[in-house]
Amino acid sequence: MPEPTDDFSIRLAYDLATPAVTVTVSGDIDMLTASALAGVLHTVVDGGRRPIVVDLAGSGCVDGRGAAVLARAAVRASAAGSTIRIRSASDVTRRMLEITGVGTLAALDPTPSHLLPSGVARAVDAASIETRPVRSPALGRGSARSSTDVVDAALRLVTALADATITNADGVSVTLERHGRLTTVAAINDKVLTMDRHQYETGEGPCLEAKAQGRWFYVESLADETRWPEFVPLALEQGIRSILSSPLNGTDHPQGALNIYSTKQQAFGERDQELAALFADRASQILTAAGPEPSDAAADARLGAALVARQVIHQAQGVAMASGMTADDAMGSLFRTARETNTTVLARAVELIASLHPDHGAV
Amino acid sequence: MDHDIELLERARQGLGLSIDDLWWRYFAIGGMSTAMEIEAYLYGALLASAADHDLLAVALNERFSELGGDHPLPYTGD
Repeated sequence: MPEPTDDFSIRLAYDLATPAVTVTVSGDIDMLTASALAGVLHTVVDGGRRPIVVDLAGSGCVDGRGAAVLARAAVRASAAGSTIRIRSASDVTRRMLEITGVGTLAALDPTPSHLLPSGVARAVDAASIETRPVRSPALGRGSARSSTDVVDAALRLVTALADATITNADGVSVTLERHGRLTTVAAINDKVLTMDRHQYETGEGPCLEAKAQGRWFYVESLADETRWPEFVPLALEQGIRSILSSPLNGTDHPQGALNIYSTKQQAFGERDQELAALFADRASQILTAAGPEPSDAAADARLGAALVARQVIHQAQGVAMASGMTADDAMGSLFRTARETNTTVLARAVELIASLHPDHGAV
Repeated sequence: MDHDIELLERARQGLGLSIDDLWWRYFAIGGMSTAMEIEAYLYGALLASAADHDLLAVALNERFSELGGDHPLPYTGD
């Protein structure tokens, strides 16, 4: 069994004979990495994979956002007639999943899957935890956040995800046409940013071709490439040996490209090309769904995560109050211990709740 | 308190956090005021309760922490 690790990674293992897929998560699922996991899970759910096993053996801690991601993926899977099974969760994580209701949505192995209740009913429960009504313009469609911000953030996640999952990817970027010119809206590192810029400046390269022609371009060996005489030497100089550019389609025409660079020749096998197509498809969906307002899905996900976090912190406040503190003192104590241990209030709340049941996991 | 609120607003601007983003963080840790009320607190048009002040300070401190810093903003009663 792999040990918990600080480096976050997501590995997909497909079973060629069946539609089953195992998503192995290493490192903490926290606010930074939860979105990447959500992208992977939604992609495999939408891709008709079943059952989906999420293996958390290498994952140390799942916080409220991670739980929200798992909950939403489980609801999505349930709607698609699939299930998500969560395997090898640590005791603390199992407790967390139970507290947040995820344990009733997904199958926490070894819970038999026939015990799964309706996902939608449970999601409504999670949203009804408020004791006072909350009114804020940010909860409705009237959020001040511009849709461009949301789209860019989503594209950055897809980019990070592609970089993390595609073998031999040494950098991934997304190029979009904005205000009549090409621009890089997401890039994993400076090198790919430079690669993109070289293509815009020379006016040639696979990224531009993918965008212009609406089909993918796989340059297996840049050293043997005769197209793009100005761009290719600049790429070779940076150590780039192969490039895979896939078009991103908006509502009517290609709006940009997803570019994957590698320092190896023939870097991308069949599986990587499939994954690249999946990620390009996902990025295209984000672009298509982006209207003048943020998409409902993005707003829902954010709200769901916030509600789960609130619920967990509220429960931890209750735990502290049980030892005789006032409500305000209990919150103050949570804030201060979080600060002293340099963790988040949410993580501290999870620890506090989990500490009540040190000897057994959920289920 | 007024002085503290100024500190929060300066921190928010320093972090480049929009009112909306700050509100989401504040809401996720239990805040009950609206984004418009938060904006009014930060601009000194409304007086924040001690609880709201601390929730905002925590939300900002957690952002500092994500960026590799410590928790520079004090809480009520520190």
